[in-house]
Amino acid sequence: MFIDIHVHPAFFEPINKDEDQTEFRHNTLDIHRNGTAPLEHIFNQMNCAGLDRLCLLPEDYTTTAGRAVVTNEEIRSLVDMAPDKFIGFASVDPLADHCCEKLEHAFTDLKLKGLKLHPSRQWFYPSDERLKPIYQICEKYNKPILFHSGLSWEPDTLSKYARPIEFEEVACRHPKLRICLAHFGWPWVQETAMLMVKFPNLYADTSFLYFDCAREFYTRVLTQDIPVTWIDRSLRHQVMFGSNNPRFEQIRMAQAIQELGFRESTLELIKGGNAIEFLGGLD
Amino acid sequence: MVVYKSFTLLTKQYNEMILITEEIEKAVAESGIQNGIIAVISKHTTTGITVNESLECLESDIDHFLKRLVPENYPYNHARMLKSYGSTAGNPTGHLKAHLTGNHCVFPIVSGELVKGDAQDVYFCEFDGPAKRTISISIIGE
Repeated sequence: MFIDIHVHPAFFEPINKDEDQTEFRHNTLDIHRNGTAPLEHIFNQMNCAGLDRLCLLPEDYTTTAGRAVVTNEEIRSLVDMAPDKFIGFASVDPLADHCCEKLEHAFTDLKLKGLKLHPSRQWFYPSDERLKPIYQICEKYNKPILFHSGLSWEPDTLSKYARPIEFEEVACRHPKLRICLAHFGWPWVQETAMLMVKFPNLYADTSFLYFDCAREFYTRVLTQDIPVTWIDRSLRHQVMFGSNNPRFEQIRMAQAIQELGFRESTLELIKGGNAIEFLGGLD
Repeated sequence: MVVYKSFTLLTKQYNEMILITEEIEKAVAESGIQNGIIAVISKHTTTGITVNESLECLESDIDHFLKRLVPENYPYNHARMLKSYGSTAGNPTGHLKAHLTGNHCVFPIVSGELVKGDAQDVYFCEFDGPAKRTISISIIGE
């Protein structure tokens, strides 16, 4: 099983019937000239990458951008179109009214598998007391949270909200809550590794490709900035493959992650085993 | 008279050669133009259009030839974030293969028929797939 834990479906054709909404997505995400993708193309891309499942992440930026980029309902509709390929996450704006009710609805009625939050774009510190009810709902339903962490390319984002150390209090105060620092918290990857070795409930994904090509950047970050041995010996149950497609290159990243020198059993965990644990199973 | 049309392909592989001769002949027949030329042009920068003999062995040889000239593992300057796209440009090999192949072909039309050699077929070449691709056809004549 090969899972991409970090995919943004903002330009999937079935949810892009409205040109104004598509334009809003281009501008809000700062992704351009990529067109919209029919599901058949997405499946062709998965086939070339060798991927079995994609985890689809929405973005609710009600406070900072006026509305959601992709709604929870759109995620549900996409999952229903390919339930054997797509895993759906929810998003809420934790500073907006009725966010708790919205999250309960996403977990109970829409049956979404986890929560995506973006501190840099939604402008909150993870340890902010206002987030506590959100974390409690995730604990109540045994749902994981995937946090944006580290650099964000999106406009109006502040990295200070998403530096890995800012998540320490959440991992410490909520030991049963599974949280993932997306993008490995790049550039603070050693800070992320420090948190991972301390907190077994803290995961990281590999969705970083800010310089060079996938092979070069993965080699730099995952064999030099973080030695291969740190992951292969100590963090092997906490790293998940993620691409952040369409910003980054899913096919070349899926290829590159397999060429870094990890033990075969570690690679299987990174490719899918850890994601299944993080998600609390695939069913 | 000038007739313009286009068609779209969903390519399935990273590198792929797709025969498009029939689409071109169909466009000539539908245009009604009896004498003139047809230009077939890709709208992309990581694809090619080329004319060659449609043989499995040659398709394999062309693929290997381009891979030798343009290897995947090489320190290309194009491998970087592009601000205008907001995404990574990881496809330098596609651009370079497209540069070698060219983006178009041209054939004469005589008495309403595409004039080509018996061994000639037209390929659309995908060098950064899978992707949604569009091919332009302009038919100029009378």
